[in-house]
Amino acid sequence: MASGHRLMNILIGAILPLAIIALWEFATRERLVSSFLLPSFSRVVLRLWQDIVSGELFMLAGQTLLRLAISYSIAVIAGVVLGILMARVRFVRWMLDPIVSIGFPAPKIAFLPIFILWFGVFDTPKIAMAIVACIFPLIAGTWSGTQGVDKYLVWSAENLGATRREILVHVIFPAALPQVLTAMQVALPIAFIVVIVAEMLTGGNGLGGSMIEGARLADSARVFEDLIVIGLIGFAFLHGLQIFRRKILAWHPEVLQEKN
Amino acid sequence: MKEIAIRYTPVVLLLALWELASRSGLVSQDVLPSVTSVSVRLWQLCAGGEMLSNISASMLRLVSGLGLGIIVGSILGFALASSAIVQKMAQPSLTFLYPLPKSALIPVIIIWLGFGHSAQIAVIFLGCLLPIVLGAYNGARSAESTLVWSARSLGANSIEAEWHVIIPAALPDLLAGVRVALALSFVLLISSEMLGAQRGMGFLIAFLGDGGDYAGMFASAFVITAIGFAADRAYLAIYHYLLRYREA
Amino acid sequence: MTNTKIKFANVEFTYAPANGRAVKALDNVNLDVAKDEFVSIVGPSGCGKSTLLYLLGGFLPLVQGEISVDGRKIAKPGPDRGIVFQHFALFPWKTVRQNVLYGLERKSMDTAQRAELAQKYIDLVKLTGFEDSWPAQLSGGMKQRVAIARTLVTDPDVLLMDEPFGALDAQNRGILQEELLAIWGSTRKTVLFVTHDVHEAVLLSDRVVVMSARPGRIKKTLPIDLPRPRGPDVNRSPRFVDYCQEIWDLVREEALAASGVKT
Repeated sequence: MASGHRLMNILIGAILPLAIIALWEFATRERLVSSFLLPSFSRVVLRLWQDIVSGELFMLAGQTLLRLAISYSIAVIAGVVLGILMARVRFVRWMLDPIVSIGFPAPKIAFLPIFILWFGVFDTPKIAMAIVACIFPLIAGTWSGTQGVDKYLVWSAENLGATRREILVHVIFPAALPQVLTAMQVALPIAFIVVIVAEMLTGGNGLGGSMIEGARLADSARVFEDLIVIGLIGFAFLHGLQIFRRKILAWHPEVLQEKN
Repeated sequence: MKEIAIRYTPVVLLLALWELASRSGLVSQDVLPSVTSVSVRLWQLCAGGEMLSNISASMLRLVSGLGLGIIVGSILGFALASSAIVQKMAQPSLTFLYPLPKSALIPVIIIWLGFGHSAQIAVIFLGCLLPIVLGAYNGARSAESTLVWSARSLGANSIEAEWHVIIPAALPDLLAGVRVALALSFVLLISSEMLGAQRGMGFLIAFLGDGGDYAGMFASAFVITAIGFAADRAYLAIYHYLLRYREA
Repeated sequence: MTNTKIKFANVEFTYAPANGRAVKALDNVNLDVAKDEFVSIVGPSGCGKSTLLYLLGGFLPLVQGEISVDGRKIAKPGPDRGIVFQHFALFPWKTVRQNVLYGLERKSMDTAQRAELAQKYIDLVKLTGFEDSWPAQLSGGMKQRVAIARTLVTDPDVLLMDEPFGALDAQNRGILQEELLAIWGSTRKTVLFVTHDVHEAVLLSDRVVVMSARPGRIKKTLPIDLPRPRGPDVNRSPRFVDYCQEIWDLVREEALAASGVKT
């Protein structure tokens, strides 16, 4: 009874969140916690509904998502290209290696005020900062994946008559794909965090800007509403990437194992 | 020694390029203060004590928040992994919380705790919690049952099995989670300090920038970046030491 | 001799890694392999037997000596010298059928012909029904069959096999040895087979070449005078046992010499 089993799992999994929501509502109703610190769950949901209907939420979310989409796409394309170049061209590897290895663990967000100095307070510094922050895992993951291709696979392809270009496309690219996808999954939350922080710092619009304004104006319902929306967006994106990964890597042992 | 010099030469080249671009006026000195002027300001800030006081304020918060996160997170993670039912209950919530950008917690903390010291620590603590919980959780789950069974058949009771087998087996995943938390703690520290603090490196960078002291701003940004880098490297050394049995 | 298919003349090879000491793997190897001959190469670990194969395959650069096939010096890798590796080297992102088709894509024939040919070889290695499976879903023995089919389908002049059954369990090894004998019997090719399993070498080959410890030289060549086709009970015949003993003694001598023990 596979479907009965799955239903059971869903129910069990829902216990914790439901309990938390119930506790939340109870605590605020009984005034155990001041309604300023923790607006009741129902109030937050109401606010959420109002903002969806008025379109306000879509505007805010749209701004944040647009910045996220632009910075992430640029970072993925540039990061993958640079990673491949690093693996194939010695000069590029020599040039980028110290930069990547120093830059990767460094908290690049410290440069946000500098980016604001350079690019102003609108979209550019947010996008630029997000690109800089999330490109490192993409370069490193692509480099590692491209480099680590099993030489016997390359030899087999050569043996079967493939040209250098064919080997790059038929063998090296698919072999590196798992690691590239992992890097993409790591980079997405980073870009998201940075866009939100950038929005908060520049007091701009977008979900981050709305959250910080809510905090400054003591509008706690807004803060929690935005938090929930941000959480849902983040979850949706990462889940989407996971599904994308399972489709593309249908041949991979890890995916096949999951099926069993 | 020679290999290190060759490896880091591009960095030196970059610095030289920077200096050239700034000095020659190719890029305005306001936007890109020269390497030398940044270095001078760095020296001044250190000598004047501002650098040290802000660094210590930041590091105090970081260590407190991260330390608390490691302790609470590990315990929580192991607890969640303890039984199949608890795992099933916790799994969806963990999966949902994982992609939540932890910086979104900052305004929430501001509402709860304002802008002070404890607020910063709380942000770091809450943000670090999840990667560590996940590390401990996944690590504990990955402990091979054959190892546990071997221990039990050699006379260990369930507590001993937990300490002698499950925790060491969970260590690689847990330590990997701590490394993620370390990087995250720096990001959260700097972000929350920039947004509202009276001391700390994030505050210093924003403060100097607002005041037009761009060379100083660059200097402080580099200092905290360097500290973050050094912390990761230091952690790696600890990580490899603790897991040295794997390399052998 | 016009019957010579492969000729190794004064072949030497040194591995020179970027960091580490240079290691001389082969020293003055001279070997002739006749057309349609099945030759096995055995020797202690590190004696360079795989290196010899990789040089012939064109994967390693030949600097000293000459290797020629049908009188022509070999240059780059190519389907005329098909190779099967120990760890299968199947493209994990391609199905069984796609793997087998890979070598055919470069040959001028239409799609229907390719499909038919691929199916023929999939059937030959007894994997009918698994055409659309991923390699990760197959057992070791099945993977190696796919690798063999993939190489054979391009109809190479020469077949190079690098310890192809070394990663399989004993049962699968025995079964695949039998099947290889059957396939080779019907599609006669020149085969160069590297193995550390002396028993396997005697079972399969017309001739067994024993290599010395590193740097590898040819220590001795033994013709295997056992009638073909060789059934599964050939390994009980006294002559078979004698061959195995003789070769094993030679290999053992070299292995011990390599580890510094005087015999």
